[in-house]
Order: sequence, then C-alpha cells, then structure tokens
Amino acid sequence: MNSTPALLNRILLTVLGLVLVGAGLLLVLLATVPPAAPWWHSWSGSAWNGINQLFDATRFPGRPESWLWIVVALVLLALMGFMVAWIAQQGKGRSNLLAEEYDPGNTPGDIRIGGGVSEQALKHALEGRPDLAGATIATYDVKGSPALKVRLLPRQGVAPHLLAAEVAELLTALESVVGREIPVLVHIGAGARTRFGRAERVR
Amino acid sequence: MSSSVEDRRTDNGSRRSSGPDMRRILYRETHSSRAAVSVAAAVLVLVLAAYGVLESGVHALGQPAWLIEPQVAAQRIVDLPAGIPPLLLAATGAVLAMVGLIFLLNGILPGKRARHLLAPGRGPGSPAVVVDDEVIASSLARRARLAANVTPEQVMVVVSQRQVLVNVRPTSGVPVDQDRILEAVRDELDQMHLEPAPVPRVNVAPSGVIGA
Repeated sequence: MNSTPALLNRILLTVLGLVLVGAGLLLVLLATVPPAAPWWHSWSGSAWNGINQLFDATRFPGRPESWLWIVVALVLLALMGFMVAWIAQQGKGRSNLLAEEYDPGNTPGDIRIGGGVSEQALKHALEGRPDLAGATIATYDVKGSPALKVRLLPRQGVAPHLLAAEVAELLTALESVVGREIPVLVHIGAGARTRFGRAERVR
Repeated sequence: MSSSVEDRRTDNGSRRSSGPDMRRILYRETHSSRAAVSVAAAVLVLVLAAYGVLESGVHALGQPAWLIEPQVAAQRIVDLPAGIPPLLLAATGAVLAMVGLIFLLNGILPGKRARHLLAPGRGPGSPAVVVDDEVIASSLARRARLAANVTPEQVMVVVSQRQVLVNVRPTSGVPVDQDRILEAVRDELDQMHLEPAPVPRVNVAPSGVIGA
C-alpha cells in the first residue's frame, strides 16, 4: 500500500548479500584451504600494485599525498547520501487528502476533502461492534491518487466474508457522501488482542 | 444540478480505471515488506562508508590516520592468511557469509505472507479484501466445532496456502461424523471464495477426550 520501493529493496539487498557472502567465503577459504593462499597473493598483489601506481601517478605537485583520496572520500559521501535517500523511501505514502476536485458552482475555488473525514466516519461506524476488537483506517497516496486502507481486527470465530460484506456497505455509504469512488483495501487481520481476547459468541 | 452530478460520476468512473493498480497493492499486501532489512543494510553501508570517508579525508590532508592507515590495511588484506590466527579468520569469514546470506535470502525469496484474498464478487466498486490465515482458521474452527458438537479446545485448524487441515478430537463415547464436518467446512470455504482456494481435509483423532 505504501510506496516502499520493493524492487529496489530486493536488488540492493541481493547485491549487498552477494558481496558479503563472497567476502566471507573468501576469508573462510583462505583460512582453511592452503592452496588458496598463493592464488590470493598473486591476484590481490598485482591488483594492489596497479592501485598503488595509480596513487603515485596522481600526487599533488610537491606533496606526498594523492588527490585520488579526495575522490574516494567524495564517492563514499555520495554513497552515504544514496543510503540516506534509500532509508527515507521506506514506508512513505501516508497522505491526508481523500478527494480534490474543482467546484463548477458559483463559489470560486476548489474542494478538498481531508483523509480525516473517512477515518473518523468509518471509525465511528465500526465502533461498538461486538465482533471487532479494533479497527484502524488510514489514507494513502498510491502513485498520486488517494486510497483507503481499512484494517479490521475481528474477534475469534468471526466469518471474514460476512464482515467484509458489511464493511463494503459502509464504504459504499461513505463513497456516496464523499461523491466519488475511492479505491479501498480491507485487511482483516489477527493480532495479540484478538488472540487473547474473548471469543465472539453471538454470531 | 443533478445532471452535473451525473457528469461527475461518469467522469470519475473513467478516471478510476487509470487510478492505482489494485493488483500491485494486493501483491504488496500478500508479500512481506523488506523495509526493515533494507534499513539495516543501509545503516551498515552508511557506517562503513562514514569510516571510509573519515580515513580517506584524513589521509588526503596528510594527517595521521585515526584507526589504521588505508595503505597498511590494504597491505594486510593482501598477505591475508599470514598475520592472523586461522581460526579467527575462518570465524570472521563465516560471520560475514552468514550476514550476507540473510540479506541475500531476503532479497531473492518470494516472502509470501500467510494471507488469502477474498474474491471480489459484489460488483466492480467493491473493496479488495485481504484476510490473515489465522482469521480464516478461527472462522472455520467455529463452524467445524458446531458441526461436530465439541468444545473449542477439541478443534484445531491449520490454514496454509493451498490446504486446510481440520483436526478434531472427539469427546470420548460420542462418535463424530467426519463427513458432516467436512461438509460444513467446505460450505464455509465456498462462501468465502478464497484466492487461491485451499482444499479442506478433516482429521478425526482416534482417541477421545474424557469429560469434555
């Protein structure tokens, strides 16, 4: 429902996992298999020599340090910025706007209906139901258009399809009040409150 | 006035099809999120990169290194099996590989959640419904309990992606009709229209419960 970058998460996790597994296996091989050591020495030694020559070739005039270190620092800083941006993308997508429409009537301006309207109305309508242990309603912004997520926690033994049908009626009523159709996701879930609470016996 | 309302209705109707992709939303709801693992991975890379920035920045300015000179560290890595106890090296490698495996599996496994979809059958405007398997199980357990006429403790239902297993322990001396329970459970499942549809199976324990 939220705009967590699912594919990006998978790709980055896979890449990082492969790198770590590769490094770990290399260390284990070096520690346990004797023939691995000469191979590693020849391979990494030549690579390290190449890097060293690069550093020697890029010195500041008259100073022993290479300016390549500044490049390395900048690249790492960019990597840090990318990581911060990646973290900031997780779990985004809550919004506070249910509907927005230009009003063709006599009054100038347009109409905005906040997400609080649906949240409060549905919460109130679902309050006091004996078969529910709890309900949360949230408005999301899914790729630019508003959507509602209704999370219901029914008590044990409640038939989910009957509950869904009754909630669907409430949602139709809400849509007629708001004046437009809103995509809705209903999640009927179980939690600690439903697991240890009393069972519903009326239905 | 009413005609303008009608116009807006149809306008919205056409806009709805270009609205959010419901299939994508449902996929996200039935598959687990990698947000927590991703944040952990990002923090790990952040810390390592921050240390790298510090060392390379200090080196670029010609100051003494904070923990270790980068060139010394690289040289140590190059002649690796030497200079460190092999046990410690192997243990470090194993830990690294384990952490990597956790990230890797999080990245490539499907990560299906124990949830089912309720098939939409009540018109195009009806909401999409996702149900936890636990809720389905408790509903089926109530139905099976009523059909078998036993107490709630004698029924255990396990719901998986493609199968529903109903375990019933009958009260000692009172026979339980297996077919009747199966009929009841199947009826309840048919009403739910789950997606994917699981196949019910009833298992009546050979030994009964006394005094229930």
